[in-house]
Amino acid sequence: MTAAPVAAPAAEVFRPADVAEAVRFLADHPGAVPIAGGTDVMIDRRLGRLSTGWLVDISHLDTGGIVRDGDDLTIGATTTIRSIETSRELADTAPALVEAARVLGSVQIRNMATLGGNLCHATPSAEMPPPLLVFGSSAALAGPSGERSIDLADLATGPGTTSLAPGEMLVSVTAAVPDGIGSCYIRQTIRWAMDLAGAGVAASVETDGDTVTALRVGLGAVSPIPMLVPGLDDIAVGHVLDPDVLAEAAARARDACSPISDARGTADYRRHVVAVLTARAIRIAAARARGTWPIDRLAPPNGFDPEVLPGRENGPVR
Amino acid sequence: MAVTQATSDAHSVVGKRIPKLDAPDKVTGATVYADDMRIPGLLTAAIKRSPHAHARIVSIDVSKAEALPGVHAVIHAGNVTQRSFGYGHDNEPLKSRKVRCIGDEVAAVAAVDAEIAQQALDLIDVDYDLLPEVDDPHAAMLPGAPVIHEELDIEGNVSMRWDFETGDLAAAERDSAVIVEGTYSSPQAAPAPIETHVVIADFDPTGHLTVISPVHMVFMYRKELADCLGLDWQRITIKQPPVGGSFGGKIDIDTHDFITVLLAKAAQRPVKLALTREEEFIGARTRQPIHFKLRTGADADGNITFRDAEVVSDNGAYNAWGSHAMLVAMNTVTSLYQVPASRVRSAVVYTNKNYGGSVRGFGNPQATFAVEQQTEELADALGIDPIAFRLQNANTADSTTTQGLEITTCGLTECLEAVRDRSGWVERRGTQREKFRGLGAATYIHVGGGARIYGSDGCGAMIKIDDSGQVALISGSSELGQGSETVLAMIVAEEIGVPVDVVTVTNSDTDVKPWDVGVHASRTTFVAGNAARLAARGAKAKLLEAAAETLGIAAAELDIEDGMILRNGDRDTAVPYAKAIRRRLLREQSSIIMSSAFYDPPTEKQDEGFIGNISAAYGFGAHVAEVEVDPETGMIRVVGLWAAHDVGRAINPMSCEGQIEGGAVMGIGLALTEELPVQDGRFLAPNLHDYGMPTAADPPRIDVTLVETIDPEGPYGAKGIGEGGIILPPAAIANAVADAIGIRPREYPMRPWKVVDWIQRNETSTVVDQRTGEASA
Ligand SMILES: Cc1cc2nc3c(=O)[nH]c(=O)nc-3n(C[C@H](O)[C@H](O)[C@H](O)COP(=O)(O)OP(=O)(O)OC[C@H]3O[C@@H](n4cnc5c(N)ncnc54)[C@H](O)[C@@H]3O)c2cc1C
Repeated sequence: MTAAPVAAPAAEVFRPADVAEAVRFLADHPGAVPIAGGTDVMIDRRLGRLSTGWLVDISHLDTGGIVRDGDDLTIGATTTIRSIETSRELADTAPALVEAARVLGSVQIRNMATLGGNLCHATPSAEMPPPLLVFGSSAALAGPSGERSIDLADLATGPGTTSLAPGEMLVSVTAAVPDGIGSCYIRQTIRWAMDLAGAGVAASVETDGDTVTALRVGLGAVSPIPMLVPGLDDIAVGHVLDPDVLAEAAARARDACSPISDARGTADYRRHVVAVLTARAIRIAAARARGTWPIDRLAPPNGFDPEVLPGRENGPVR
Repeated sequence: MAVTQATSDAHSVVGKRIPKLDAPDKVTGATVYADDMRIPGLLTAAIKRSPHAHARIVSIDVSKAEALPGVHAVIHAGNVTQRSFGYGHDNEPLKSRKVRCIGDEVAAVAAVDAEIAQQALDLIDVDYDLLPEVDDPHAAMLPGAPVIHEELDIEGNVSMRWDFETGDLAAAERDSAVIVEGTYSSPQAAPAPIETHVVIADFDPTGHLTVISPVHMVFMYRKELADCLGLDWQRITIKQPPVGGSFGGKIDIDTHDFITVLLAKAAQRPVKLALTREEEFIGARTRQPIHFKLRTGADADGNITFRDAEVVSDNGAYNAWGSHAMLVAMNTVTSLYQVPASRVRSAVVYTNKNYGGSVRGFGNPQATFAVEQQTEELADALGIDPIAFRLQNANTADSTTTQGLEITTCGLTECLEAVRDRSGWVERRGTQREKFRGLGAATYIHVGGGARIYGSDGCGAMIKIDDSGQVALISGSSELGQGSETVLAMIVAEEIGVPVDVVTVTNSDTDVKPWDVGVHASRTTFVAGNAARLAARGAKAKLLEAAAETLGIAAAELDIEDGMILRNGDRDTAVPYAKAIRRRLLREQSSIIMSSAFYDPPTEKQDEGFIGNISAAYGFGAHVAEVEVDPETGMIRVVGLWAAHDVGRAINPMSCEGQIEGGAVMGIGLALTEELPVQDGRFLAPNLHDYGMPTAADPPRIDVTLVETIDPEGPYGAKGIGEGGIILPPAAIANAVADAIGIRPREYPMRPWKVVDWIQRNETSTVVDQRTGEASA
């Protein structure tokens, strides 16, 4: 019954000199698959989910690293999760990305794993899509017929599938991080390290004084593809983030998702947790936007911090 | 990391913090485990397992598999000679008529490599006739439930009953001021060692069988192998490679052991079977879920009056030895604290599930979860501080419990005081609700001087000292990673008077080592340690005789200290002990220095009424856990754990702390995350990513206090400590959750979705019967 992991059939590895050579090779060898950190590819091969004659090693390719240019924050696809976790630039401008990177796997995994791999593997519970989605990110793709840019929300098309055309690869992601945007990523897990999210929630908030000018919430692990919660502008923009608005945002997030039951929780529980985490992530993001959240303090992994969010504010959001 | 409260004394080796002797090999990857062994012509085995929980086997067709090039043997119940095995002989290596749980073995292949073996499995056609299945033990006992073992003369799928009663329960109830009642359940969990089961079997041309298997109980393993497969056990050698973790999962013989030997016989080639990670969860033994319905009473002065337990153990499809976890569970119900009257009515029930084995703690975490939550519920109902209540009722040295357990030394009071004071219990319990934090305590009683479950509880030891002065201990026992080799070497070094680094420990195989029951029940330091100590005493006497002869001095005037032979304590004329041996060996008419001993503790098997002193010493311990509960997501974080254990004597304090900390981390896993859920006939977490084993980031700093009570029978006063750490976290954490948020966990693991559900249902279901006329809460 249980398919014993079998040694994967041998594959050959091609090491291109640059992105152009990589996409040419991918185009010329249908079935060839990029391998970056290999933290998903190696497991897929071992479990028989991926059989390919050619692996195209892109881990060494220069895709630009982490660069901020005005409101645009661009991260190369081969950037390791560990570099995102430890980036000073990101801690200041987009802490949600650091908060997502820091909980992914273990240090060893993060040293190997890349942003591109995380996005292109299209695992529903992947850590990096929700925070990138709340920054309205786009994805730069390179293919045999040149480059194109798509909305990041259109990259994953289902669990394990993407809109990448044959021969195409992801080169970088560009997020919009205007000055003063506050962000946060938190998640529910069954243990406190080396775990996949049962639910992952990112929020970004922009404010003018106390008034919300933009609010986005991204969800992971509770729908076939990571998603943005629709309809939040209607309830939040132009308003103060009071408990009613928070509760309504939480309810919309809960209603928008479609979780399954598995070892990390029942569907009902996950919906409930999405609501809880949504309210928390928005609160923390808003506190960051307003400058009232302690600088350099990352959110607790599940956003529960009796010291920072004391008393009633911490109570159930209904 | 840990604090040791040890008595100082004159020992030169015992009591020292010595890193495990096998640690350098293990951390550098030099250790050769069974799976690393290379044997010419070795074939790879794979097992065809049932995907169904309950089905009749209509037919098995192996013809296509047999025809696959590279396949050397395909076996199933129809083409091998096997008998039933297991406790009550309710199991077969390869199932002949029926499968009774997912993962049951129906066929097996040996092939030139893993890929072909897997292909061959896929070519085996098994035709099943599905039967109604039952996965809940209470449902299994109802009339009309599916019958799992129709070949047995039993009713309601109850494989055995363990009933015990002592004292006047009715009178005790009448004398009670408060009675608390509740139910407490535990899940199916896995021992989850990092090394999966690996078995290698090889018949030599004369028919002598060698089996390499990381099993604890090599001698009983050999006997059962011979009995089940009709082999001559004098022609079998069991080799024990280094064990990559077991936690009880590798304690005794299992289906895959027989299957590997059958394949080697059929293929006439050496065969290796290595369970995959998934099979390790699905096809190896588990910790049995146990369901308790418990009542405890106390009088107005805070004395426990009685305990009354109805217990159902869900041991799964076969008994194995897991059925006997009830023995340990019963001890806790009758003998933790002074309980004048008690009753246990219990049933071990067959269900269509993976079956229980002898996992670390063996029934005690489950029982203590019930008994120790109820202790705090009772203390709270009486308005007495739960630790003060425990101190008042604590077991004491030189007492005998109603089940006949003769407690010689007992540090329970000292353990309770230590965790109370170190955790700030008195000031902090019940004061942190606003921060969703709470403290909870729990204590245990567990065998600590062997456990007479089999006729013998003995272990042999042999010592030889050679011309280099190397002292070789050949112990019947085995190293599972628990550090026993280090402790045994220390005992031998201390007893003879040599440095510990001249002692080697061998526990290789049945051809070499003396008989032993095997590692279980926290018995190795106590039983194998006493055997080693006796053998060392004999070796020392011979050594001194040899020295006396060569030095021309009466042996009575000689002693050995730190490797030097001293005459009446005089250091100036001291002679290295190895020199004295060499002179003895390298002469005509010489003789070797060798000594052997066998130690069987002074204990008895329980009688039919479950009374008897099964262990020569009992271990005690107390934990206080502090948790923070996120009331909205239900996620629980253990933020503090204080542990104090009565270890008799800490022969190696570092090892004791390691055992306690490691056990506690496993206990935290049990309490919060570890279980083997099955949904729609599929295991949801048969791998290390989904199975909630804690990582190093999960437990808090663990504060360990070692309490020494110097047991009169233990080697240098030591008692067993291998299981103590795992017993308490589920109970202590549940009590802490109750303190933090007022919710009473009725089951573990306390998964976040359950916690949310309990909060939503306001699960404060303690049933308190205040006998003074006040209403029940
Ligand atoms: C123990 C362990 C724990 C983990 N924990 C987490 C976790 O907590 N959270 C989480 O989100 N993930 C986790 N992962 C999954 C994995 O580490 C991440 O998804 C990681 O980011 C993948 O990156 P990689 O570079 O290793 O990808 P690879 O394995 O190299 O590639 C993954 C997929 O992406 C494709 N690919 C890679 N780069 C590109 C590109 N530039 N263009 C097009 N296609 C590309 C590959 O062809 C492949 O299909 C874990 C994995 C392991 C082994």
